[in-house]
Amino acid sequence: MNRVFSLAAATLFAATLAVPAAPPKAPPTTPSVDAIVADYVAARGGLAKIRAIKTLRQTGRIFEGQGREALVVREVKPPGRIRVQFTIQGVTAVFASNGTTGWKVSPFEDDMALKDLPDEVTHEAIEQADIEGPLVDWKAKGHTVEFVGNETVSGRAAYKLKVTLNSGTVRYSYIDVASHFEVRADSTRQVKGRDLQIETTFTDHKKTGGVLFPRRIEIGAEGRPQRARVVVDKVEVNPTLSDALFERPAPSQR
Amino acid sequence: MRKLPFLLFLVPAALFADVVYLQGAGTITGRIVEQNDQTVQVDVGGGIIGVPMSRVERIVKAECPLDVYEARAAKLAPNDVAGWLKLAEWASQNGLPMNAHDAYEKALASAPDNAEARQALGYTKLNGRWLTEDEAYEASGYVKYQGEWMTPAQAQIEQNSAAQDQARKDAEYAAIAAEQRADEAEARAEEAEKEAKKAQEAQQYAYPGYGYYGGYAYGVTTWPVGTGPNLGAGSRPSGGGRK
Repeated sequence: MNRVFSLAAATLFAATLAVPAAPPKAPPTTPSVDAIVADYVAARGGLAKIRAIKTLRQTGRIFEGQGREALVVREVKPPGRIRVQFTIQGVTAVFASNGTTGWKVSPFEDDMALKDLPDEVTHEAIEQADIEGPLVDWKAKGHTVEFVGNETVSGRAAYKLKVTLNSGTVRYSYIDVASHFEVRADSTRQVKGRDLQIETTFTDHKKTGGVLFPRRIEIGAEGRPQRARVVVDKVEVNPTLSDALFERPAPSQR
Repeated sequence: MRKLPFLLFLVPAALFADVVYLQGAGTITGRIVEQNDQTVQVDVGGGIIGVPMSRVERIVKAECPLDVYEARAAKLAPNDVAGWLKLAEWASQNGLPMNAHDAYEKALASAPDNAEARQALGYTKLNGRWLTEDEAYEASGYVKYQGEWMTPAQAQIEQNSAAQDQARKDAEYAAIAAEQRADEAEARAEEAEKEAKKAQEAQQYAYPGYGYYGGYAYGVTTWPVGTGPNLGAGSRPSGGGRK
């Protein structure tokens, strides 16, 4: 290793002696944030098609290893309305938000009662209800986006963007240089009272309703080998979703 | 003979599963094995879940994936590896991971080196040997900290963070205890002052006003709480006492 290093250093040193000083080579130009985002929006299908999506339903499976898996149905109706349903071995739990408050019925926990979601969970859910994603029309939404560097994601070049949501939440978005698809997103999530860096990768992109959706999503936390894999089997654009689906159900009288 | 059409209608219905709708949202689908005023016990195909009747909105009969799985499994020969693999994938797609697990195990019983079944059950092939997920993580140098596999460096970070949390908690508890002691001292001082005042009054001494007591030293009053909905280790039904 040292020999290689020495040889390289010697070669470089010799080169500096032999070649007259040339003006420094300009680094490859990085497009502006606006250009990166514009390419990303176009690659997804274009603003008009993205904007035509008023409701969304994604059905799939989530695998967490060692036989832990669930059916997942995610329904979204902006602004802020989101409902996620997990089914494991005939048991179905529901987590939902109407855009203001959140609730759940989770038979996987000890109590099967209808309960409010903690504020921070509701807040996170509402942020995820933006079908367009934060990059689309980010200025009008009050977010800020900065280019922070060039990275490699799964062996491919990607632009790393820092996205600061109008709520103050910071995310990092990785846009593939060649395809302009979003291939990775990093965020911070509180788990067991501590901040944990969560890395989400997106692959197997396919279009539904003219808009690109990833069909394979992998979620991992820093320093941990486990990965949750989401396989999206079906994407439905503009399904009929009543507002009542997202509202906290009234307690029934028995 | 005239009863035959009626019986034909009844028999399949009796084979249907029960769907227990919980109040508000959520369901438990399986076969009711016991029901009384207090609870309903539902066999979901991988165990029995007890649901308090106070949480139940209604119960209906309906065909469910478990019915289909059992009918298909009953037709498969034990050594039909392809058939078990196909059924396992179907069970997975229909929200029956425990039945999928069973079907993959059936396939492995006849074909122990079947990669599809091994991988679906969480095995990883390392140096020609199939290792469980835990064995593979261990072999790759990960350590288990509080039930989670992670890099030794991450475990160290978590450990340090937990120690800092504990130190903060200890400090908070100490502050609360000190506060309680201060309260008690204050109460005693108040009492003593009253006694002294009484004594003073008794002695007809004129002595104005009340004393000030020092402010309380507040500790940390809030702790970060809450996690988002996730499968975590709780992906197995546990509500109401799984058996």
